[in-house]
Amino acid sequence: MSDTTATTIGATTEPEGPQLLSWDSRARRVVTIYVPLACFLVILLFPFYWMGITTFKPNSELLNYKDNNPFWISSPTLDNIRKLLFETDYPRWLTTTMAVAFASTALSLVSSVLAAYAIQRLRFRGSNYVGLAIYIAYLVPPSILFIPLAQVVFQLGLFDTPFALILTYPTFLIPFCTWLLIGYFKSIPYELEECALIDGASRLQILRRITLPLAVPGLISAGIFAFTLSWNEFIYALAFISSTEKKTVPVAILTELVQGDVYHWGSLMAGALLGSLPVAIFYSFFVEYYVSSLTGAVKE
Amino acid sequence: MDEITRRGSLALGAGALATAGLIGARPAGAAIPVADVPAPKQPIEAGATLRVIRPTKFVDPDETIWNANTEKFTKATGVPVRVDFVGWEDLRPQVAVAARTGAGPDVVVGWANDPHLYSDKILDMTELATYLGKKYGGWGALPQKYGKKFGSDTWIALPMGCGGGALVWRKSWVNEAGYSTVPDDLGKFLDLCQKLKKNGHPPGFALGNAVGDGNGTATWLLWAHGGYQVDDKGQVAINRKETIAALKYGAELYKTFIPGTLSWLDPSNNKAYIAEEISLTQNGVSIYFVAKNDPKTAHVAADTEHSRMPGSLNGKAPEAANTLNAMVFKHTKFPNAAKEYLRFMMEAEQYDPWLTKCLGYWAHPLLAFDQSDCWKSDPKIIAYRDAQKMQFWDGYKGPINAAAAAVSSEYVLVQMFAGVASGQQTPEDGVKEAERRLRRIYKS
Repeated sequence: MSDTTATTIGATTEPEGPQLLSWDSRARRVVTIYVPLACFLVILLFPFYWMGITTFKPNSELLNYKDNNPFWISSPTLDNIRKLLFETDYPRWLTTTMAVAFASTALSLVSSVLAAYAIQRLRFRGSNYVGLAIYIAYLVPPSILFIPLAQVVFQLGLFDTPFALILTYPTFLIPFCTWLLIGYFKSIPYELEECALIDGASRLQILRRITLPLAVPGLISAGIFAFTLSWNEFIYALAFISSTEKKTVPVAILTELVQGDVYHWGSLMAGALLGSLPVAIFYSFFVEYYVSSLTGAVKE
Repeated sequence: MDEITRRGSLALGAGALATAGLIGARPAGAAIPVADVPAPKQPIEAGATLRVIRPTKFVDPDETIWNANTEKFTKATGVPVRVDFVGWEDLRPQVAVAARTGAGPDVVVGWANDPHLYSDKILDMTELATYLGKKYGGWGALPQKYGKKFGSDTWIALPMGCGGGALVWRKSWVNEAGYSTVPDDLGKFLDLCQKLKKNGHPPGFALGNAVGDGNGTATWLLWAHGGYQVDDKGQVAINRKETIAALKYGAELYKTFIPGTLSWLDPSNNKAYIAEEISLTQNGVSIYFVAKNDPKTAHVAADTEHSRMPGSLNGKAPEAANTLNAMVFKHTKFPNAAKEYLRFMMEAEQYDPWLTKCLGYWAHPLLAFDQSDCWKSDPKIIAYRDAQKMQFWDGYKGPINAAAAAVSSEYVLVQMFAGVASGQQTPEDGVKEAERRLRRIYKS
């Protein structure tokens, strides 16, 4: 009965569109899907819009909302971007940030794959507790760790070099990635590995030829998270790097563009906007893998 | 078509010569009265190199002249110096790392109470401070407080500049409200603010968690009523009738403010003042400097005046100042070079151009610099000249220590005033809550 009704409605009202079920209607769709989606989009995209328009606003417009519409630009300017790119070391900060983020992500992923595989598949005595301990390590806040880590960094002679960050970021990236990959490896059927074992494959061969190709979405998901965390990291970058030209973007733009209680909002927003682009591009390439890793892995 | 006349060419020539410093030039610092005092003997160690960190510039000359002076030091002594500029809020974690690890910068130009947190890890500066004091007419009251170990005559730091927090106000609007200048009497000041509000030009003081301005508002209100957070022995003394009076006054004053001051951070009053939304606030010279240097807001600067915060007690203005306080860590391999660097930077030939070009943002700690050309260049900034003469400090009346710093960083006083002003708490409840927090911080 209901099928017939649905077909009739679909045939009469929306002959070319998707067929609607009996409980469905255009109004219902608008209320339950499009309005929440629009709200969501506005909330998510508004900060980027604000960053964008502030980047191109002259100071007089930024300061005076009585005579200027805060949500629009009357006389756009490139001064803020010029100041950022040509009066600061921004290109160099961006390069450093990218190099540090890529290196620490790669290092963390390699370590995490080995750790997660060992904990999930080798199932040695106490492996569950090791997994738990690694996760707990992630919960220790960097604001507690940065002083002891600074001592290690000094003793290794790494202070004020990018290696100080490349080697300390994994202290929070590895626990996070390991925890994420343990979950992902768990979803890959063990039978596949058993077959390989029967065929005489070693553990490393299984990892390289069976597990890792199946775990690509999980690896990408962990990689994206690790990259973003490294990109945005603040406290270690602040404590372990003192030379202005060697700083990462989040620390450097604050140092250079906040002068006492005078905030160069235009250039700050330009720095934030340009700084968020590499991460956005990185996401856009791998978004499908990322979603598939969250929605489930290999089906048995 | 423009013609070059004889008179014109003479003027051009004179201008070019003056620009090149060939005529009419006066050695920098020449106006500063100097006593003939021998410099302390600090033979620079062979092969010395120095690393210095200091807060990032307030205006460009702050960095360029500092770097130029540093280059002069390198030329004169052969000691290479690397200076790193760190965000104002970010300096403390770096100092903490240096103090804890025993490595890092040799010289730290930090904030007022930083040296007091690490007094056992930094070098004694008594000899150098005594020399500078004798040569340049003595130290101001506030630099003495921040430079010496609390309750002693031992110098542990060298104050280099005091960023005052004066009252910034629009002359025409204050005149329109019936006052020729801002009154010192608190009752009259409240009346002025009520009239300004009525005329559509409300005042605005930060009551949000603003490091400088929020704490500045709270301490001004407290000190102006004779209150203090701890007594001179460090015992919590907030729960007094003076604090209640300050809270009641603050709540009345708050009614005249522009909406939103409860969430104001440090840049908020700058923005509101330059946008001509408020008529009166407390701030460093930055508002005036920014307004003056932008042609579109130059009229705001032209109509701006500065004066001491109202409510002086026995002639003491209820203000402190954000002080640059230099220290040398014991872990440095070149203590003499580090001290010599600081001495060099404080000598008039270097210090006076820095002071002048920074428009007095970092007012001098040594009294002889009252005569600097800096204070003659623009009469509107005179209020900032006397920042070093203030007699209140962070944690007044108690010692300058980690607890005093924690009270500021946890915004205990700001939140007490904000809670009462917003009507969330009665003055009595606000004081009790602040007392509880202060006891936890001071462990008393």
